[in-house]
Amino acid sequence: MTVARRRFMGEMMSWFTASSVALLLLLIVGLLGLIAWNGVAHFWPRGLIEFELTDGSRLAGELHESNDGAFGSGARMRIKTGNRDFTGSDFRWIPESEIALRENPKDLFLMERAEWGVFIGRITGLQKDGQPLARSPEEIGDTLPALLASKRAERERVEDFERRQIGDVNVAIEALRLRERALARADLPGDQKKQRLAVIEEELSVQIAHYEELAGALDRMRRALAAETLVIENVEGREKVIPAADVIRVLKPNEMGWRERFGVFASRGIEFLTDEPRESNTEGGVFPAIFGTVMMVLLMSVAVTPFGIIAAVYLREYAKEDFVVQLVRIAVNNLAGVPSIVFGVFGLGFFVYLMGGNIDRLFYSDALPSPTFGTGGILWGSLTLALLTVPVVIVATEEGLAAVPRAVREGSRALGATQFETLWRIVLPAAGPGILTGLVLAIGRAAGEVAPLMIVGVVKLAPSLPVDHHFPFVHLERKFMHLGFHIFDVGFQSPNVEAAKPLVFATALLLVGLVLLMNLTGIITRERLRRRYRTSAV
Amino acid sequence: MNAKNRGLLDRGMRCSVSAGGVGVILLVCAILVFLIAEAVPLALPARVGETSIQSIPGGLGVALRVDEHRTFAAGITPSGVLRVVRLEDGGVELEHDFFSKSTPLSAGGLRVLPGAPDEAFVAATNDGRALLAQLDWPVRFEGSTRVVTPQLGRVSLFVLDPSGGALGALAVRSDEGRTTAVSARQDGSLIHHVESVEENPFSGERTQSSERRLLSSRGRTLTHLVLDPDQRILYGASVGGELLWWDLQSSGRDPAEVVESTGSPVSALALLTGGRALAVGREDGGVAIWFRTQPTEFAHRLAPVRKLPHQAAPIVRLAPAQRDRKFLAYDANGYASIYFSTSNRLLWQGRAPLDAVAAAIAPKGDAIVFAGTDRVAEVLLEAPHPEAGFASYFQRVWYEGFEAPGHIWQSSGGSDDFESKLGLVPLISGTLKGAFYSLLFAVPLGLLGAMYTSQFMHPRLQRIVKPTIETMASLPSVVLGFIAGLWLAPRLEANFTGFLALILWLPAAVTCAGLIWTRFPRSLRNALPDGAEVGWFGLFLFAGLWASFASGPLLAGYLFDGNFQDWIYAATNTRYDQRNAVVVGIAMGFAVIPIIFSIAEDAFSNVPRNLVAGSLALGANRWETVIRVILPTASPAVFSAVMIGLGRAVGETMIVLMAAGNTPITDWNVLNGFRTLAANIAVEIPEAPHGATLYRTLFLTAVLLFGLTFFINTAAEVVRQSLRKRYARL
Repeated sequence: MTVARRRFMGEMMSWFTASSVALLLLLIVGLLGLIAWNGVAHFWPRGLIEFELTDGSRLAGELHESNDGAFGSGARMRIKTGNRDFTGSDFRWIPESEIALRENPKDLFLMERAEWGVFIGRITGLQKDGQPLARSPEEIGDTLPALLASKRAERERVEDFERRQIGDVNVAIEALRLRERALARADLPGDQKKQRLAVIEEELSVQIAHYEELAGALDRMRRALAAETLVIENVEGREKVIPAADVIRVLKPNEMGWRERFGVFASRGIEFLTDEPRESNTEGGVFPAIFGTVMMVLLMSVAVTPFGIIAAVYLREYAKEDFVVQLVRIAVNNLAGVPSIVFGVFGLGFFVYLMGGNIDRLFYSDALPSPTFGTGGILWGSLTLALLTVPVVIVATEEGLAAVPRAVREGSRALGATQFETLWRIVLPAAGPGILTGLVLAIGRAAGEVAPLMIVGVVKLAPSLPVDHHFPFVHLERKFMHLGFHIFDVGFQSPNVEAAKPLVFATALLLVGLVLLMNLTGIITRERLRRRYRTSAV
Repeated sequence: MNAKNRGLLDRGMRCSVSAGGVGVILLVCAILVFLIAEAVPLALPARVGETSIQSIPGGLGVALRVDEHRTFAAGITPSGVLRVVRLEDGGVELEHDFFSKSTPLSAGGLRVLPGAPDEAFVAATNDGRALLAQLDWPVRFEGSTRVVTPQLGRVSLFVLDPSGGALGALAVRSDEGRTTAVSARQDGSLIHHVESVEENPFSGERTQSSERRLLSSRGRTLTHLVLDPDQRILYGASVGGELLWWDLQSSGRDPAEVVESTGSPVSALALLTGGRALAVGREDGGVAIWFRTQPTEFAHRLAPVRKLPHQAAPIVRLAPAQRDRKFLAYDANGYASIYFSTSNRLLWQGRAPLDAVAAAIAPKGDAIVFAGTDRVAEVLLEAPHPEAGFASYFQRVWYEGFEAPGHIWQSSGGSDDFESKLGLVPLISGTLKGAFYSLLFAVPLGLLGAMYTSQFMHPRLQRIVKPTIETMASLPSVVLGFIAGLWLAPRLEANFTGFLALILWLPAAVTCAGLIWTRFPRSLRNALPDGAEVGWFGLFLFAGLWASFASGPLLAGYLFDGNFQDWIYAATNTRYDQRNAVVVGIAMGFAVIPIIFSIAEDAFSNVPRNLVAGSLALGANRWETVIRVILPTASPAVFSAVMIGLGRAVGETMIVLMAAGNTPITDWNVLNGFRTLAANIAVEIPEAPHGATLYRTLFLTAVLLFGLTFFINTAAEVVRQSLRKRYARL
């Protein structure tokens, strides 16, 4: 082969390697861009379009996708029409050939509701107990914002009442029932038992009376809440009356300027981060999922840190390079490579059924057969993930320890400090950043892990947060919600996947952002440490 | 603190830290041991517990029934007396004489059938009458104590053979409104008698009708007859050892089929739960399962499905369990064997505690009951996982209702008499299939990318590109699965031709970009840092990607008559699943690439520089150096990178769960979906009751996954260690 030919072949092969890197980067940018674009677009108020079709029917909605007809089916558009209560679905494909007229009327409303999702149409009336409050569109436009604000505040009061007051009574009743059951089982002389049971019965009747009183009050509040109603009408003139308290947000997108749109964007973003989910997770916020994820990760950190540090210190500081150390290294390596679902299976069998089952038998036998710890919960979830992330912490801590120069250790020992004192006062503080890096990486890994949690305690919709104002305030046995599981559940198991997809993109953006932030922090500190190690290793 | 305390503390900490270190090994071992311990009961044989024997004057006859809570045993004696006794003490709870007053029993007594269906007794008299007696066990609670009271239900005594001759082999089945009885006569014909009661839904008026016809046995003398629960299929066994069957509702051949048997005469015949599998016991001790199969659309055949372990003496009784495919075979030597049909297992074998004339498995499968001429014995039985076994997990099993043996995973079904199918082969093959296709995508991209980044890229660019790709390893797989399942899969389905066109367009784009690049003035190229060409190639690749998908519909029009899915179905009869191996290959490949890239990049850039310098000095160009020097030197790391990537792909759960469609089928077609071991655990374990066979089977699959990844990772680690030593020597 001539030199020129050899060089050309070499060039050509290097093109393909360069292209591999290029393709990888393209894929990464494409994927992150896709998530970011769709995740952000979920909050942005789009303009509303009103169509008249060739068959005379009318519809209005947001344009979500348009197809140029390359797939042989003719050009068509996917319109989010909302109005699920009228049409049964949120989206509709319309062929462009059937469109007779297309306009952007300024008076078209988009209304987010607590039930039935988005409504697109016009508001034609405002009533209180059936009496009109406002007549003309201008009048409605003037009174509406104040009314909605006051109804929102009222709704929050009602929800708060339900959660706090009624929740408290329910907890008290539940506790009394448990005491009653425990007493019924207890080994006591008959009359003593009867006496105590009577006391409990009395307390119970007081609480139940209290509950009924509160329930009556709640009922009155709810009725007051539903007093004001809106008459809404879709573009075909079909009317519906809905309680004003059900309205979350009303906007006229076609009338709004950039600044107003940005305001809506921000308020939707805040709602997403701080609110409870609605409509079986397909709308509203993901606050409980964020809370569950963060709390689970914190509990996991508490469990994983000491264990990981001790193992790393053993490997670096105490053990001599012998057979045992090699075994430990193989064990750690393998632990890192075991599929996460296997940890889930272990967690279910060991933590939930074995440990949880025994804890229930010992301490919560009154509640049996309904399990307390003997079912998935946040404690078991975080312990399972702690097992999963132990290798990450070990490896990072080891690196941190290795970065501490020998001279420092030897200096300390030469001054008469024992090995432990050296470790405690000198080495560990110096290795602090390394340990922290490990923890951050472990958190990054844990936050994105879903498969094992699906088995040991994550649920679609948790009735209450694992932390509340009832004793003992932190409820480690409760099931919890998780951002990753939220993606799986809403994306694959919800009845209305199509309508929920934008929200899932937003959750995915949040989760990816969180995880990448954690990992970048970890990797950057690790790089810094490595560089320091290079310069300081004398 | 004084010196002594300090020393103590130091030593104490040394001990506890060492204990913590060793704890890590113990932890890994503990996980493995725990997983195995949960799976081990699957392999244990059945165990029998204590035996209790009660004496019962008069005995219970050859047919034996036990209630669900093992309170009572019941039987009909040859003199026509139904007797229910307490298993606890042998005391008689209920006695009823069917033939005392109005319909006296003729001489010769009553012939009771040992294998009668469900809770009913069937018996034949000497004068052509048949007796069907239902026994019920209503349960009520007095406080917290359970009280079972045996109650004689519907009893019908009807004339089957008007000529009054003794009945030969007999089968009777009865349900709500219909009773079917078939009996063999001396002359070789069979009497088929149906009694039905129809109730007018408006008036509540009941009309009774009965019908009788003769069936032929083509000259065979029948020894046993069995009816299926639908009262439609009648099975029979002849003196010559042949098996016959009739379809009572069709007017076709009569009998539908006679299967020539090479074996010895049939000595016991019973239908297992589900009513499809016929258990056949023979004089020579053979036990086999037969089903009707349907090789063509209109023809049914009775086929020998499996042979179970042989007994030494003739099989005298076959007693099926009521809830699963267990059955008991009792032989003439007094040995009882418990079999499980699906898993082809002999669960337990032992001598009966007495000379039994009747034997039965208790309804819950928790005891065997034997009845002798004047005693009854109850033997506790523990067979929690009869469905499990090497054969049912890894070998082809011929399930009821199937045409041929196969590997099938279908752990639960709609009805009570569902036969669970626990073949792991589809799951294992799915796991390997997913891993294979994702590595097909990930290995070239990851390795080539690592090669370029380590050898040809400027360190400044390297410092950005490397962590960027490596960070992708931490991208939550649930997000990748979501994008793959809900974004990529529908788009790929709509434009699969565009995806195929990539094979054409991407190399074209690369070549085009390369050719233009080489035409650039050298001064311009030298001004850019090494690695800037990535951007140039990226531009062309992007154009290539766009061109592929844009040209997809056009190409589909030319090549596939407009639609790839229809075309491939017409051409190769393969259905295109929306969630298929292509989608998973891309998504899981994307998850694996960073791992392969990272390990390979480290290995390539750690190849001693003197080797590279030597090669270049000898006149090799940079590509030849990469191929001839760097790749061979780092080849163990390439192996180890691929292995670790494989480990990750094998255990990945969420991507497969969301993008693979989860159909447990065994094939390697890239257009079909599949189910992996990991996804299977995620799908099924929430539904698996604690301690049940399914639960333990899933633990077994977890052990398999653990073992597989343990093997892969250890192999990769060993190879890497050897590489480290080799680099140290160079």
